[in-house]
This record gives sequence, C-alpha cells and structure tokens, in this order.
Amino acid sequence: MQKHKLRIGIVTTYPPGAGSLNEYAFHFVHALEQKQEVAEIILLVDELPPGQRYDQPDLNQLHKGVEGSTGTGEAPVAVAPLRFVPCWRFNSSLNSWRILRAVQQCKLDVVLFNIQFASFGDRKIPAALGLMTPALLRLFGVPTVALLHNIMETVDLKNAGFNYNPLIEKLIRLIGWLVTSIVLRANLVAVTIPKYVEILEKRYGAQNVLLAPHGSFASEAMPPSFDLPQGPLQIMTFGKFGTYKRVETLVEAFHLLQTKHDTALELVIAGTDSPNAPNYLENVAKQYANVPNIRYTGYVREEDVPHIFGEAAAVVFPYTSTTGSSGVLHQAGEYGKAVVLPRIGDLAELISEEGYTGEFFEPNSPQSLADAIGYIIDDPERRIEMGRQNYLAAQGLPLLEVVDWYLLHIESLLKK
Amino acid sequence: METQSRFINAVQVVEFQGRLDAHQGKQVDQKLSEVRNASNQTVVNLSKVHFIDSTGLSVLVKGVKHQREQNGDLVLCELQQPVRIIFELTRLDRMFQIYSTEREAVQAFQ
Repeated sequence: MQKHKLRIGIVTTYPPGAGSLNEYAFHFVHALEQKQEVAEIILLVDELPPGQRYDQPDLNQLHKGVEGSTGTGEAPVAVAPLRFVPCWRFNSSLNSWRILRAVQQCKLDVVLFNIQFASFGDRKIPAALGLMTPALLRLFGVPTVALLHNIMETVDLKNAGFNYNPLIEKLIRLIGWLVTSIVLRANLVAVTIPKYVEILEKRYGAQNVLLAPHGSFASEAMPPSFDLPQGPLQIMTFGKFGTYKRVETLVEAFHLLQTKHDTALELVIAGTDSPNAPNYLENVAKQYANVPNIRYTGYVREEDVPHIFGEAAAVVFPYTSTTGSSGVLHQAGEYGKAVVLPRIGDLAELISEEGYTGEFFEPNSPQSLADAIGYIIDDPERRIEMGRQNYLAAQGLPLLEVVDWYLLHIESLLKK
Repeated sequence: METQSRFINAVQVVEFQGRLDAHQGKQVDQKLSEVRNASNQTVVNLSKVHFIDSTGLSVLVKGVKHQREQNGDLVLCELQQPVRIIFELTRLDRMFQIYSTEREAVQAFQ
C-alpha cells in the first residue's frame, strides 16, 4: 500500500535571509527534501528586504520532483519540491496570525519550527508573541514540532544583548518562563542538549520534550586536506556578531599574537551583525582601526563557506555565553579544523559528549585567548590532530540521519 | 563489537555486545543491513549493550524505518538501564516496540 507522503511546513529563516538559524535551516531542509516520506516542503519564511528574493524553484519541477544525491553513496533519489511562503517579519507583532493564515492556506500535515528565543524579534513583545505560534497552530488543529535551539534558563541575558538590571532581569525571566510554557504547548519540543530536556521536564513539568542531535552538515565528502594555503596564517571566526558573539577580546588577542609572532597572521571575521546588534562590526572596525591584518568578509554566501573554512588555521568561538549547540562547531569539524572555545557551559559539554576537541580560553581574557590560539598555530602537528578528531566527530551523525528521527516522531504524532 | 545472530521461527534475532557508538556504528549498520536482507522481522537484543550514543540510536532508527517500509518491523528487547534512559531522553522508546525478554519480542511477530 502506498504510504501517505507528508506536506511539511517549516517556520524558519532561510538564506539569503540573514536571520539567526538560517544556515541550520538550509542544511536541515536539504536533508529533509531527500527523504522519500516527504511530498513537499513549504518554507514559511520571513520577508526579505527590498531587492532580495528567495531562490524559488522552477514551478515545472515543483510537481515532478528533481534528482538529488543522498550524500550516502546510494543512488540519487527524487528530491521533494520546496516552496517559499514569506509570511512573517522580524519584530512584527502580527506574525502568529500571519503564519496561521499561511498554514491554513497551504494545508500542511505538520509544521516544524526552527527557532530560538529571539527568532521573531529583538523587541520583547514581538519576540514573545511570535513564540506563541506553535501553540496557536496546535489550537487550530495543526500538529506542531518546535526545534528550540536555546532555552531561557541558560541564556546570560546581559551578554545576550539585553540591558542589565536585576529587576528587569527578573521580569524578563518571568516572561521567559511564561513564554517557554507556551512554546511547550507544541505537540513536541525538540532540544539538542540533554541538560535542556532535564530543565524543561523539571521546571515546567513538560512531558513532550525530546533530545534530538544537532547533526552535522557534512555529507560523505572526501576527508578535508589539512594543508593551509600560502600566505598569512588565518585565524577565523564565523557567525552573526554583536550579542553573545563578540569579537573585541579576539581582536585584542590577535593584536597580542601579532606582536609576539614572526609568522604573518590574518584575522578573518566572517559574517554579519546579529539582527539584534545593528552596526556592531562597523563600530568594532572603527574602534580597532589601529590593529592591522583584520579582514571583515561581510555576509558569507553558502558557496563561499568551504573556502572560508578551508583556509583557516584555527576557528575561534568568541562567545561570552552560549545559547545552544553551535552549528559553527559542526561546520568547523566538517572542514577538519582546530577550534578555540571559551570555557563556558554548553560548548564544553558538547565537546565532550560529541567527540570534539579544542583549546579553551577564559572568556573576556585576551591573553588567555592569544595563548590558546598560539598553541594551535605554533604546533602544526597538534593543529592537524585536532582537525582530524573534529572531522571524525562531525562525521558522527549527519543531518541526513537526524531528520529520520524527526520523521519517525512526526509519523507517530500523526497516527494519534 | 561482538555480534551474534540467529533465526527463531523466521524471526531474525541479532545480539550486540559492548558499546553501540560512533566507533561501532558502521559495523552495526552493516550487520543490520545483512539481517534486513534475510528477513523483514528483526529482534535486536540489547542485553549486553551497556552504552549507546546518537550514532547507535541512528543505526537502529534507520533499521526500523527500513523494516517498516518493507511491512515488517525491528523491535528491541532486554534494554539495560543506561540504554533505556537514552531511549527515554530521545523519546525513541515510543517509536520502537520494546520488550522485556527476547521470547516476548519474538512472539510479537507470531
């Protein structure tokens, strides 16, 4: 008997949109579209700024599927068609209703949310209202699965970009508790760190939370070359900066390294401002105009990512707090890179649980960070060994396999 | 990783021993693939597995998906406590049929 194929909606950001989690969405969707259980993926995405547009597939292919590679060495399979439905806007208070209306028009079997606490806005009310969408959809009979990349309890509010005031922090935490309770009204809530499951079960009494691996973006590509290009050794950081990813300590560490090393070095700051911190990198560039050999790449297109990672001698995570499992760490692993990480919560846990290795530094200490980078760039054998271990860790569980977990959960959900 | 497999009433029973993790993933996957070719009814006995990670789970997920696509199933039995906890954490305990004993698991196919 022919199984019913799923029409899956995903509420997310997506390239070329620059909102957080866009890269994760890209790889997740790429994996999901290769699954034979999937009839169509409808991406319920944010509206792009004027002049930009989503790469809407050819409408002729929309109904017949296109051939793709499974990335597992198996024969090519039909790829489920993708459709973009821009239906929400960062910092709009109307997102929940607009998404609901779009979902009702699309007639979906299930809706996934690829979200974190600031997905729908950096202003508190739109952010909170947006996070009510999974509950709202469920209320209207639409099965929902929320992949929640961070939880309020583990966010350092000060470092995550919110003004610090103990009273305001308490208020925000209370609102966070309420919003989390509402997010937990989704049929299922997936998180990527075991501790999150424990917190959500204990503090919220949740019984619909599950642990799903973050997954690596790697397909079964050739192992990376550990050779570096001619020219200065590149120290690279990658992401959206200005909230909990801040580059000041890194730039100061780089300045220290340059004064002590004869080797030519280059600091590559790859990425853009976080939507929550406009003009951050421009201000950093002005503040540290006296530090030479820094390159700001701006937005890195997906096709340029291998190049940016491939040339790096070390990938640095200048995080002041963590708000979830890091996609960049998995990318660094995919390209066989040595990594330098802050000695804080989730990253250390992720490293040990998923088989990665790295040099650690004390957050906010340029000297500690310079030392950690120095251990890697001064010792090519160590750099290569770390890169090799991270490559093996990244190969552990590709997203292509992680999406099978989601499909299994979705099928079970729909049977009820 | 040590593995044993046997047929009981047309049901293929496979028993792993040790850690079911990233290092053993390919070997386990290969074994399950062989087993799948022989029957669409599989019992995986985990009584001698004391550790499982996401790769190990993923191999089992792949196995159960495949068997169900073939109108069969892959069921589990005799989970040790540390392994059971991981299944509960991932809610995969609700995705698999899990039995206390191998006998019950085999009987489930009869």
